[in-house]
Amino acid sequence: MLTIRGLHAGYGKLHVLFGIDVEVPSGGITVVVGPNGAGKTTLLSTIMGTATAFQGEVLFEGIPITGLPPHEVARHGISYVPQMKNVFADLSVLENLQMAGYMLPRDETQAKASQMLDMFPVLRRFVHRKAGTLSGGERRMLAIAMGLMKKPKLMLLDELSTDLAPIVAKKVITEVARLRNELGMTILLVEQMAKRALEIGDTAYLLVSGEIRFAGGARDLLHDPELARLYLGVKEA
Amino acid sequence: MMPPWLASGFIYASALALTAGGITLLYITTRTFNFAHASMATWGFYVAYTGTALYGGSPYRYFPLVFLFGSLLGVICYFGLNRPLLRRQAAEITLMMSTLGYDLILLSGIQMYCDYLTYTHKLFARRVTMSVYDFQLGGTSAASIILPLIAIAFLTALHFFLVKTKFGVAMRATIENPVLAGASGINADAVYLASWVIGGGMASLGGAFMAMAMTGTPVIGMMSIPFMFAGAILGGLYSLYGGILGGFVVGLAEYGGVYYLATRVGPWVLGYRMAIPLLIMALTLLVFPRGLAGVAWRSVPRAVIGRLRGVGT
Repeated sequence: MLTIRGLHAGYGKLHVLFGIDVEVPSGGITVVVGPNGAGKTTLLSTIMGTATAFQGEVLFEGIPITGLPPHEVARHGISYVPQMKNVFADLSVLENLQMAGYMLPRDETQAKASQMLDMFPVLRRFVHRKAGTLSGGERRMLAIAMGLMKKPKLMLLDELSTDLAPIVAKKVITEVARLRNELGMTILLVEQMAKRALEIGDTAYLLVSGEIRFAGGARDLLHDPELARLYLGVKEA
Repeated sequence: MMPPWLASGFIYASALALTAGGITLLYITTRTFNFAHASMATWGFYVAYTGTALYGGSPYRYFPLVFLFGSLLGVICYFGLNRPLLRRQAAEITLMMSTLGYDLILLSGIQMYCDYLTYTHKLFARRVTMSVYDFQLGGTSAASIILPLIAIAFLTALHFFLVKTKFGVAMRATIENPVLAGASGINADAVYLASWVIGGGMASLGGAFMAMAMTGTPVIGMMSIPFMFAGAILGGLYSLYGGILGGFVVGLAEYGGVYYLATRVGPWVLGYRMAIPLLIMALTLLVFPRGLAGVAWRSVPRAVIGRLRGVGT
């Protein structure tokens, strides 16, 4: 569904990614793991058009989207849930959902928003509250709901579990697996909680210092003792 | 009947509320401190003056045209300067300096236009007293009642636009988080353009207001730009409503302060009138470093009552 070929990218003069090749097959979870500063977030930002692609190309369903502004990338059916600041804190929960469905016709936005509230019942109580007052876990749920609002073909999820209590983080990751299992959603998941992400993932990439060190099945990476020990903090049994 | 200083103060304060609000709006959307606000305001005055002097009627009927003209100047600035610079991710200082350049261009245009009015229409265009075109309302100048009402009506409409319409909410979303707004499919370009349309219109309308309280000259906007910025800064710079309130406070403080000091201390104070609003801004920021918008107003009554009770016991 999404093909990235020979991508060099960064911000201004800062070069972060060096010749990345990634293939996101349709209907599965592709996980990108790697240590801090490896360029995981930059990869997603480049797809969305907020970081600069110096070389290489990004194809979505065969159409080049390299360097398009964010709102045009979004119009192709890609939704993005950033790691930080992933809700509009000053807007109410309902307004957040309405903004996430900005491209939909008005009546469809209403229907989709109430569908999201059914899917994430925890949000229903806070519909008119400002999103900035939600707890970390509720905010993450709202961010996922916002990602789903525009009926995307592909969801880019950045570090969903960061800063959450372990039990809440686990719940959020389980929620991601549910998106694939129940909605057949294609997901590109960037995650620091590598072990848990790889457990639900289908395909996996290990990104280190802006280069791909491993590409293959998620379980294969999880069970590769050398890589898992070096980069993923997985202890040997 | 309103005392004359208060009547003029209301007019000037309404003008500063609009212009400071416009400066704040442009800053929170496009990161641009718009120095061209000065000459955009002056152009607003000249549009109102041209209409009134050449085509007759009260100055108020030309205000919609004034607003549109200001919007046009804003749109030119956006497409000609601001957008190309934003696309190149220019620094804030570059964005600001570019508007200073635009201001000088607009100012030259004003000077040429004044010559045109002088030579072709035999108007005394460089010193204009717009209040002669005003009428009396309840023993006081109509402007001191009508202009604050127009400002309130306009700002109320702006508030409803930002809260109730889809595009208005999208503007607030972009102000808060441009990346997420873009990812939601909101075109940031359209939001920036809308801010220049609204902000430019507010600048020119403010300029036309100003000329109802003071002598209209080619530098009427330039003389007032420090106070427009003072209002925006007093408001905390990050809140549109703060900027509007800040502008109003600065405007009223200048007229009120001058009147008070001139009657108590002596008329020599008039020479230092420009220092008064800036002094008030500095003092306010010393007490509330984040500006008026940064004050938790809802907890103020409780804090004051608490302190009074503390004193009483």
